[in-house]
Amino acid sequence: MISIKNISKWYGSFQVLTDCSTEVKKGEVVVVCGPSGSGKSTIIKCVNALEPFQKGEITVDGISVGDPKTDLPKLRSRIGMVFQNFELFPHLSVTENLTLAQIKVLGRTPEAARDKALKLLDRVGLMAHKDKFPGQLSGGQQQRVAIARALSIDPIAMLFDEPTSALDPEMINEVLDVMVQLAQEGMTMMVVTHEMGFAKRVAHRVIFMDAGKIIEDCTKDDFFGTQRSERAQLFLSKILHH
Amino acid sequence: MSGYDFDVIQRSWVYLFRDGMTFTLTLTALAMVGGIFFGTLLAMMRLSRFSILSYAAGGYVNLMRSLPLVLVIFWFFFLVPYIGAWAIGAKDPVKVGSFMSCLITFTMFEAAYYCEIMRAGIQSVARGQVWAGYALGLNYWLTMGKIVLPQAFRNMLPVLLTQTVILFQDTSLVYVISATDFLGAAAKVANRDYRLVEMYTFVAVVYFIISFGLSLLVKQLQSRIAIIR
Repeated sequence: MISIKNISKWYGSFQVLTDCSTEVKKGEVVVVCGPSGSGKSTIIKCVNALEPFQKGEITVDGISVGDPKTDLPKLRSRIGMVFQNFELFPHLSVTENLTLAQIKVLGRTPEAARDKALKLLDRVGLMAHKDKFPGQLSGGQQQRVAIARALSIDPIAMLFDEPTSALDPEMINEVLDVMVQLAQEGMTMMVVTHEMGFAKRVAHRVIFMDAGKIIEDCTKDDFFGTQRSERAQLFLSKILHH
Repeated sequence: MSGYDFDVIQRSWVYLFRDGMTFTLTLTALAMVGGIFFGTLLAMMRLSRFSILSYAAGGYVNLMRSLPLVLVIFWFFFLVPYIGAWAIGAKDPVKVGSFMSCLITFTMFEAAYYCEIMRAGIQSVARGQVWAGYALGLNYWLTMGKIVLPQAFRNMLPVLLTQTVILFQDTSLVYVISATDFLGAAAKVANRDYRLVEMYTFVAVVYFIISFGLSLLVKQLQSRIAIIR
């Protein structure tokens, strides 16, 4: 579904990604982890062309992301994305956040969009907050709305960019629960996260990145087993023991 | 108060407001709408990744902001008829009324100032908001129109209105082309009846009341429209 081939990216003369290749198959859940500055957020933003890359090729469902002829809005409307800082639209109500793209991008009627929005809000347990504004919700609630918003366009795959990093600890689980449920329903997911518990529960594969390179790309069992690099072991020992 | 005759106000205020203030307020309102519209477009151009657009807009803004308004009003009044003739291919200069000439001048001049306000407004919206719009499949215009600009307007509304209060005062400069705005109308009466002190004092008081009143309104509004974050 998502194929990343030999991607390299520079900010000026600074190379942030070096020759990264991997693949996410349909229905697969891939967790990307690594220390900060390792390029994991950058690579996930490259997948839906929020960040340009200079070398290599990314295809989503057979369509090349880097090709200048590609209709990017159309391509992006098939991929859901969830951000670290939620990025809900603060001037729109929760329901309007969920209907905007359905109406303006997918051409659904306001009624159909609203029905879909309410169904999704019910699913993430926030029906009671449908008329509130994002600023009136807690961080965890906002991120659940953001997940519902990403789902509102019926994506073929979901990208998560550190979805729980900006949350207070007690809110992390309510977001992870929604994500676990989504994974169990067979959604194709690429998740940048430090939540190794999530990886252990639902990931099929784990990618470990450091300094712009993919160091490990293996099955979950291998990753949490013994078959891993020293660098990955060191990273895991640091984040698992706190 | 011997020697002063404030009755002149009593005799002329209907004319001052009916002719003069109508001109001033209409000009202010239309130039504000036009200025914000073109200013927003200019701001979008300035922030564009196409360098031709951003240089063109930047050059225009810097030029307008470096010229005295009086000069621009003057210059346009004499030039617009010829530009109009050139644009439609007519031989003779196009007749443009003084109101129309003022409106074009103020719209173009104020657009440069509103541009800088809107540019700050657009930049005040977090980068992630644009990403979120794009990620949902919205194109540039929808992302701007539905996500960035509504927030930019809200963030900048007090500054936009303050600029409008300045515009309201600046419209009095149309006296250089003998347009009959509020000040122009008062000047005519003042000269006719030789009551300069009385009329100009009255004009000052009226400008003060309106400008200060608007400023107070802006302050009130500011606390009301803040987006809940």
